[in-house]
Amino acid sequence: MIPSDHFTKFYNEVFKFLETQGDDALQAYWLEISRNQERHTLEPFREYGLEGMRDYWEHIRIEENCDLDLELHEDRLELRMNACPSLGKVMDNDAEPMARYCDHCAGWIGPIMDKLGYSLVYDVIDRQKPQCVMQVFKDPDQALEAEKNAKLLMGWPGKASNEPTPDDLKVKKS
Amino acid sequence: MIKQDDKPLRYNEVGNVHMDFHGAANTTIDFIIENYGVEIMDEIFTRVGQDVYADIRGHLIAGNAGELVKHWRHFFTREGSDYQIEIVDDEVVLTVKHCTAYHHVKKIAPQVSDHFCDQTIKTNNAMADGSPFEIKTEIIAPGACRQIIGRRK
Repeated sequence: MIPSDHFTKFYNEVFKFLETQGDDALQAYWLEISRNQERHTLEPFREYGLEGMRDYWEHIRIEENCDLDLELHEDRLELRMNACPSLGKVMDNDAEPMARYCDHCAGWIGPIMDKLGYSLVYDVIDRQKPQCVMQVFKDPDQALEAEKNAKLLMGWPGKASNEPTPDDLKVKKS
Repeated sequence: MIKQDDKPLRYNEVGNVHMDFHGAANTTIDFIIENYGVEIMDEIFTRVGQDVYADIRGHLIAGNAGELVKHWRHFFTREGSDYQIEIVDDEVVLTVKHCTAYHHVKKIAPQVSDHFCDQTIKTNNAMADGSPFEIKTEIIAPGACRQIIGRRK
């Protein structure tokens, strides 16, 4: 048994393999994880909205030993991760961390929010630091405003991030 | 074969346990095998055994199975499994009568992957590779197994 405590280290090895297969492979995997997560999030999120999401991440805060703050507002849910145990364990690891490890969170959460009609803004801030800010808005325009303040905005299957793509970084021929 | 010490494990988690991660592992195993084949899944487990568990493997290579036994006790206890460890002559036998990882997945997922226990078999093989030990993993029933560390012949 790979202990549940070490799942994130296993996850990291899976990401490293998939990265060698290209971005589509990683995105297909996040979608599969997203479908897996739908089993215990879709209905409560649909039925209880932002409050259901707050309850889910409160449960995660406890079970995964996270240092995080959750704020439920009328218009949004805000999660501030102060010390992420998932990235923390991947960094405290005898195996090499995958450089884009943090991307998986928006990778599975984003498609669920899209399906439910909520707007996710996921700011990883810095992939080397185990902290991030996730906001879920009812109003897509508010989300677009919030995106402007994000330091490292995550994308997910169906939504681009604010990072330049490898194609953008290529020297363009005149 | 077993050198006891008081040092903490290289990974020595405490606090709460999130058993649903086993469900994500189950999904991952089926996804990788369906898309890339069982050999790739085995390669990933080998990376886990050799790179993630480099410290346990280092102890095995040095002729000490004690660190793996300590790891077993720590994590099977944390996850509430029903298990026992017997050390007899030149063998360590871990008998897992009720694997909570397997049974949790059975409860939350549509089905337990046919390859779910490969994580144990392949990771054990990878940790023992290049050491004086071999680890035989026998599945004795769904959610129950026997893992035997013995001297490589």
